[in-house]
Amino acid sequence: MSQVSIFYLFVVLAVFIAFVFLLVGRSTRQVRDVAYRAADRMRKVFFFTLTGILTVFLGITLPRMPYPAHGQLPDQVVHVVGKQFAFAISETPIETDEQWEEVSSFAPPVKVSAGRLVEFRVTSFDVNHGFSLYAPNGQLLAQTQAMPGYVNRLRMRLSERGRYTVLCLEFCGSAHHRMRGVFFVE
Amino acid sequence: MAERTVVSPVWLGMEQQRWRRLTSTWMMVMLLLFPILLLLGAFMRIVQANLLPTLLPEWFYAVMTLHGLGMVGTWFVGAMAAVSYILTQYVRPSRKVSWTALGATLLGVVLLLATTLVGRFGVGWYFLYPLPFYPAGIWPTWATWAFLFSLAILGVGWTIWAVDLLRAIAQHYSLRAALAWHYIRGETEPEIPPAVLITTVSLISALSGFLAAVIILVLSFLEWAGTGFTNDALLMKNLIFFFGHVLVNITMYLGVVLVYDVLPRYSGRPWKTNRIVAIAWNTVLFLVLFAYFHHLYMDFVQPQWMQVLGQVASYLISVPAAVVTIFSTLLLVYGASMRWTLSSLLMYLGVMGWAIGGVAAVIDSTIAVNLRFHNTLWVPAHFHTYYLMGVVLMLLGFAAHFGLEVSERPENGRLAKLIAALFVIGGYGFLSMFYVGGAHSVPRRYAVYPQEVMQGVDYARIALGFIAVLFLGVLLYLWETGRRCALAFRTSESS
Repeated sequence: MSQVSIFYLFVVLAVFIAFVFLLVGRSTRQVRDVAYRAADRMRKVFFFTLTGILTVFLGITLPRMPYPAHGQLPDQVVHVVGKQFAFAISETPIETDEQWEEVSSFAPPVKVSAGRLVEFRVTSFDVNHGFSLYAPNGQLLAQTQAMPGYVNRLRMRLSERGRYTVLCLEFCGSAHHRMRGVFFVE
Repeated sequence: MAERTVVSPVWLGMEQQRWRRLTSTWMMVMLLLFPILLLLGAFMRIVQANLLPTLLPEWFYAVMTLHGLGMVGTWFVGAMAAVSYILTQYVRPSRKVSWTALGATLLGVVLLLATTLVGRFGVGWYFLYPLPFYPAGIWPTWATWAFLFSLAILGVGWTIWAVDLLRAIAQHYSLRAALAWHYIRGETEPEIPPAVLITTVSLISALSGFLAAVIILVLSFLEWAGTGFTNDALLMKNLIFFFGHVLVNITMYLGVVLVYDVLPRYSGRPWKTNRIVAIAWNTVLFLVLFAYFHHLYMDFVQPQWMQVLGQVASYLISVPAAVVTIFSTLLLVYGASMRWTLSSLLMYLGVMGWAIGGVAAVIDSTIAVNLRFHNTLWVPAHFHTYYLMGVVLMLLGFAAHFGLEVSERPENGRLAKLIAALFVIGGYGFLSMFYVGGAHSVPRRYAVYPQEVMQGVDYARIALGFIAVLFLGVLLYLWETGRRCALAFRTSESS
């Protein structure tokens, strides 16, 4: 489901809730007793319906977690290091500040093969950053945190060819909004 | 065990006047800070709308830090003060402790003002480790120290306050009785008012959150004191989000206490503890400890069972809220001989905002969805919904009730409906731009939107129109309620 589809689903649910509150609010124009037995039955129905819906959604969504599956090897590995205020993206490991400076400032953008399983190995040399993939059409596709002392592995198959932008999605300081990186899918 | 659940004669007279003075002081502080902090939020949207292009971005982030911390702190202390006043019907909290908490809060606020507006300390309200120690040339060392020191002062003051309220409850009921476990067994004696049950649940959770905050501060001081000790970023992140999640959630629960206690006075129907209410709130006490994992979904190194537990707990915690509190609110109002005043209108709308914000939060607590919504504008969208249109309305409803009760001045019914309408139009209009922004991948916490997400500028401009409507509603509210609270203070002072 795209973000926009989820937004519409939310709007429908929000309007439904507002409508129920409006109806109940207007019901006070005519005073009446509440049939508590019927209300309790309705509460039970509500409880089981809500729990059932949530259980179904858990069943549908939990298998779609983005975490790397064991036993599956990526076709390509890309190393990413965040540091105030740029991302260094490389096909070879980045282990020192000098390498980070070299890659983030001078290295040509990495090229990723379309449709292949790519593993982004993401870390940080200072504070927390958010490594996020924006497709050529501007849609946020996925993200993981760049955290000092840890390597987060994000696996993706990117089918659309073109220029992908990496923005920082974890607030990291005064130039957070300028922090970025670029790679190409070919 | 004492069975008293009504106001003791001891509490009438002078003591009641003193509590009214204390509560009116807290309410005035809350109502003074609210419009200022709201304007700081408007300032952020003005910057994001590119209407102040020459402003240095560090000012945006310093204001963002002050706005976030200020709002979270203001509504927490406002809720604590309101609940303390409600609890005086049943137990005897200490006024001295509450005054001390007020002093600590004001001192903390002064330090926060200095760190952000003088020191340009900009780390966001949850000061994610190790950002406070990486100023990138913006804030001086003293600002970090002052910030940590202000948190320590606030933490000590608020912890003592929470402990004192629990002490007062335990002295009267025992904590086990206050958690209403005997209702779960099918017994109804001693009678436990819902306000006591929910406050007990909230404060036990609060203390666990404050404990996490103490650990964060100690670990931070240890690292910064030059001991050579370095903290683990993942552990610190868990502690910080546990603390932040608990603080925000218990503020909402304390807001719900006000609804349970005040709304029945306007609907003419009682709202008592029963087995379902007891089960629901004890479930919340358990689940709130695990739901915070949803803040760390994008930390892929976090053990996977924690991520799964985070989504399961986040989904399940919505059930008691929806089936018990929200359903019961509707039952309380349906066909009732309702007195629609500013207080009851705002509280009712507050429960609605809690429900709508809850739906948006549950959506975002789905791991597969969070992959694309995390740290986009969807996040401020949902937390502003259950904060601004939820707990804030509940608290404003309480302040209106308190002002009306103490001042005994009749209310202008038309003005009350106008205020409520301005809140709804301005509030939900403002929020809609956050939701649309999140759906279109616009990041949160950006002073300037880059080319890829330039649509965020238009959303910010539209939001400003709605903020103006909301602010008009707030000004009218302050005219109606602020002067009643001021009158309550003067009356209690002279008596």
